[in-house]
Amino acid sequence: MKHYLAITMLLCVLGACGGDDEASKDMSYPVISDEGIEAVPSDCYILKRGEVMPFHYVFTDDTELGSFNIEIHNNFDHHTHGTSSVECPMEEEKAAVNAWVFNQDYEIPSGLRTYDAQIEIPIPDDVDPGDYHFMIRLTDHVGWQQLRAMAVKIQ
Amino acid sequence: MISILLGAMISMAASSDTVVTLEDVTVSASKSVEPQMRSSQTSVHVDQEYLQLNFSGSLMQTMEGIPGVKAISIGSGQSKPTIRGLGYNRMVVSENGIKHEGQQWGDDHGLEIDQFSVDRAEVIKGPSALLYGSDAIGGVLLLRSNQMPKDSLEGSVQLFGRTNNGQIGAAAKIGGRGERWYCRANVTWIDYADYKVPTDSIQYYSYWIRLKDGRLRNTAGCERNGSFLLGYSGRKVRTSLRLSDSYAKSGFFANAHGLEVRLSNIDYDHSRRDVDLPYQWVNHFKAHSHTSWYCGRTSMEVNVAYQNNFREELSEPVSHGYMPKPDNSLERRFNKSTYTYNYQARYHLGKHAFHGGLDGEYQYNRRGGWGFIIPDFETNSLGMFLLDRFKFRKNLIFNAGARLDFAKTHIHGYQDWYPTPVGSEMVCLERSTDLTRKFHNLSWSFGANYNVGNWVFKANAGSGFRMPIPKELGANGINYHIFRYERGNVQLDPEKSYQLDLGLSWSNDALVVQVDPYLNYFSNYIYLSPTSRYVEGLQLYNYTQARVLRLGWEAQMIYTFAKHWEALLQGEYLHARQKSGEKKGYTLPFTPPWSMDAGLTYKYNWKGDGFVGLKAHVVGRQDEIVPPEKPTDGYWTLNFSAGKSFPLRRSKLNVSLHADNLLNRRYYNHTSYYRLIDVPEPGRNLSMKVGLDF
Repeated sequence: MKHYLAITMLLCVLGACGGDDEASKDMSYPVISDEGIEAVPSDCYILKRGEVMPFHYVFTDDTELGSFNIEIHNNFDHHTHGTSSVECPMEEEKAAVNAWVFNQDYEIPSGLRTYDAQIEIPIPDDVDPGDYHFMIRLTDHVGWQQLRAMAVKIQ
Repeated sequence: MISILLGAMISMAASSDTVVTLEDVTVSASKSVEPQMRSSQTSVHVDQEYLQLNFSGSLMQTMEGIPGVKAISIGSGQSKPTIRGLGYNRMVVSENGIKHEGQQWGDDHGLEIDQFSVDRAEVIKGPSALLYGSDAIGGVLLLRSNQMPKDSLEGSVQLFGRTNNGQIGAAAKIGGRGERWYCRANVTWIDYADYKVPTDSIQYYSYWIRLKDGRLRNTAGCERNGSFLLGYSGRKVRTSLRLSDSYAKSGFFANAHGLEVRLSNIDYDHSRRDVDLPYQWVNHFKAHSHTSWYCGRTSMEVNVAYQNNFREELSEPVSHGYMPKPDNSLERRFNKSTYTYNYQARYHLGKHAFHGGLDGEYQYNRRGGWGFIIPDFETNSLGMFLLDRFKFRKNLIFNAGARLDFAKTHIHGYQDWYPTPVGSEMVCLERSTDLTRKFHNLSWSFGANYNVGNWVFKANAGSGFRMPIPKELGANGINYHIFRYERGNVQLDPEKSYQLDLGLSWSNDALVVQVDPYLNYFSNYIYLSPTSRYVEGLQLYNYTQARVLRLGWEAQMIYTFAKHWEALLQGEYLHARQKSGEKKGYTLPFTPPWSMDAGLTYKYNWKGDGFVGLKAHVVGRQDEIVPPEKPTDGYWTLNFSAGKSFPLRRSKLNVSLHADNLLNRRYYNHTSYYRLIDVPEPGRNLSMKVGLDF
C-alpha cells in the first residue's frame, strides 16, 4: 500500500505544477462594437457608387488593442459568412466583371484599450454593383483576432 | 483504441516494464525483469500478433493505445504520429534503421509507409539524438518490415474494412527461405470514401458550411503499396536489399482546403467514392541495402538507402489577391530525394558494451506549381556517436554517450511569378532569400537501470535537437492556404531540448504499476506565432523561438484477476509553459489535454486465443491555449474490441473487430489540425479484419 501512496503523491506533485504565471496572460478576444454609436456599415447597408462611406465602429480590449483591417469583396456567388444572423435579400448570382476589391491595414496607437475608428472609404464609380461582403478584422497586442462579416449592397 | 490499450495493458502486465511486450499476453507478470533493464529510456514494443489482433483501422490508430502516443487525424484515412505532444519534425519515424524522409513538416502528410508490411514496431519516448540524430526530440517510432521468413513458403492474406468511410482493403504477403537465401513480397490495396462526422455544419473563419449527410466532402482516396525483399543470411554475414513503393491519393475536404474556405461549382455530393479537386497524390519510393557482420566480440552494420518522395497538390485555379488565375491545377509539387548512409559497430569488453557509428544524409528538394510554401533546398548532414553500456552489477546498469552533428543547408531564393504593386512599381516579390547556413550540435545522454525485488527504477538524462527547416528560416509571404502572412527568421539556431526521464515500476504475478514522469526544457522552441499586425491584408505570423518548460507523466496499472480477466487504468498529463518571448506565460500550440483510459478485458482460450474488451477513453477539457487556439471541451468515448485466432491445420485464421466511439459522440481533438476549422472527430466506426496466415 505504501507504494501506491508514494506513486499517488508523485502524481499529485507533478500535476500541481500547472498554477504558475497564470495571472499575466491575456486570454480574451478584442471586441468590435457598435455600442453608443451609430455603427456604419451595418447588415444590409447600401453603398452608392461614387460616394464616400463613413466607416464608424468602436474597438475595445481588456488589455491593449493591436491593429485592424478592412476588406470588401463581392458575393456574386452567394457564399455565406457565419458572424451575422441577419439575412439580406440578394440579387441573382452573376460573374464578376470589374468587382470592387478593397483591402487596407490600419494601425491603432499603442497602449489603447478603446479606439473609436472612423474612416472615410470612397467607393469608385466604375465597379460592379451588387452583393458584397464587408469584413472587419481586429487584433489585440498578443495576436487574438476578432472578425465581423456583414452583407452589404452596392448600387 | 480501447482494445489497443487493453492489449497494451495486458501485455504490460506480462513483462512488467516500460518495455511492453504485447505478445506475452497470457504469461505471468514478474517472469522477466530483463526487458526493462535493456534501456534507461522508456520504450514500448508492439509485435505482429498484437498488430493483427488489435487492428483498428490504421497502424497509428492501433498504436494510439500506448500512453503518450497520439495519432492526429489528417482527414481521409491517414494520421500523423505524435509522442508526448511532439510530432512533425520533432520526432523520427525510422523504417528498418533508416530515417523516413517525406515532407513531415506538412499538416496533410501521413506516414507514407505500407502499414500492413510492418512486422513489429517500437516507440521510444524522449530525446534519442544519440542514435537517430536531428529531429529525435519527442521520440522515435521504429518500424520493422524486413523480417526473414521462417519457412520455405509462407505468407498471409488479409481483408479489412471500416464503416465510417466505407474503407475496403486487402493486403498479401508471400515469402520463403532456402538454406541461405530468402525473399519476401508485400502488396496492399486500400480504397475509401468520404468520412462521416457527427454534425451537419461547420463554421470557420466566419464562413458557414453545411454538410450533406454529415460527410466531409471529397475526403475519399486510395492507397497502393508494394515491396520486395531479397536477402542472404550466412553464418557471419547477413545482407539484404529491400525495394518499396507507396502510393496514395486522397481528396482534401472540399469546403476548406487546408484552412482556406473554398467555393466551387463541382458537384461533390454526387458520389462519396470519387476524388475531385482539390486533392493530393504522393509516391514514396525507397531502396535500402543492409549488411551486417559478426566477428567474435565485434559486430558491424552498414546501411545505404535512397528515398524519393514525390507529392503533388492539385486544386481549381483561382485568383488570389494580386495573383492572377493560373492556367493549370498544379498548386504545389514537392520532389525530395534523400540519400542516407550509416555505419555502426558494437564491441564487448568485460562489463562494457561499446556502440559507435557514423551516419550521413543528403537531401535534395525541388518545388513546383503556382503556390509557394517551401523553397528549393539541399541539405548535407553528418553525425558521429559513441556510447557505452556498463553492467556494473546484474541489477545495476549504467549507460552514457555523446554525439556530434554537422549540417549545411542551402536554400534557394524564390520570387513570385506574378507582379505585385509596391508603391508605384510592379514587382515580383521575393518570398525566399538565397542563403546558406551551417549548423553543428553536440548531444549527450546518460542513464541507469536498477532492479531490486519487484521494483525497477530507471533514470535518463539526455539532449535532442533539430535543424531549423527551410520554411522556418526563409518563409516570407501570404499563405492563402491558411489565411495568414508568414515570416521566417534567418537567424534561428538549431532547436535544442534537454530532458530528464524517470521510470518506476512495480510488478508481481497479478499487478503491474508503472509511472513515467519527465521534465523537458527547450532553450529555443521554434514555432509560428501570431502578432498584432496585418501585412497585405492578413494577420502576420512570425517564426519565433522561446524558452519552454514541459513536464508530464504517463501512468499505468494493470490488474489480472480470476484467471481470465484483466483491468486497466492508465492516464497521461502534460504541462507546457513558454518562459520567454512575446508569448511568455502561455502554453505551446497543440498541447494535448490530460486523458485517462479505463478498460476491462476478458481473455480466453477456446480453439485458439481470443479476447473481448471494453474501454472508456476520457479526455479533459483544454483551457491551456495560446492564440489563435480555442479551448476544447473534454469528452469521453466508449470503445469495444474483440480478437480471435483459429488454428487451422498448418495455417491460422485471425479475426479482429473494433468499434470506436460506440455512442457516436461529437467531440473535438485539441491536437488536430482540423480543430482549427471546427471539424469534429469521426463518428461511430466499426473496423473489421480477417486474416489468414499460412
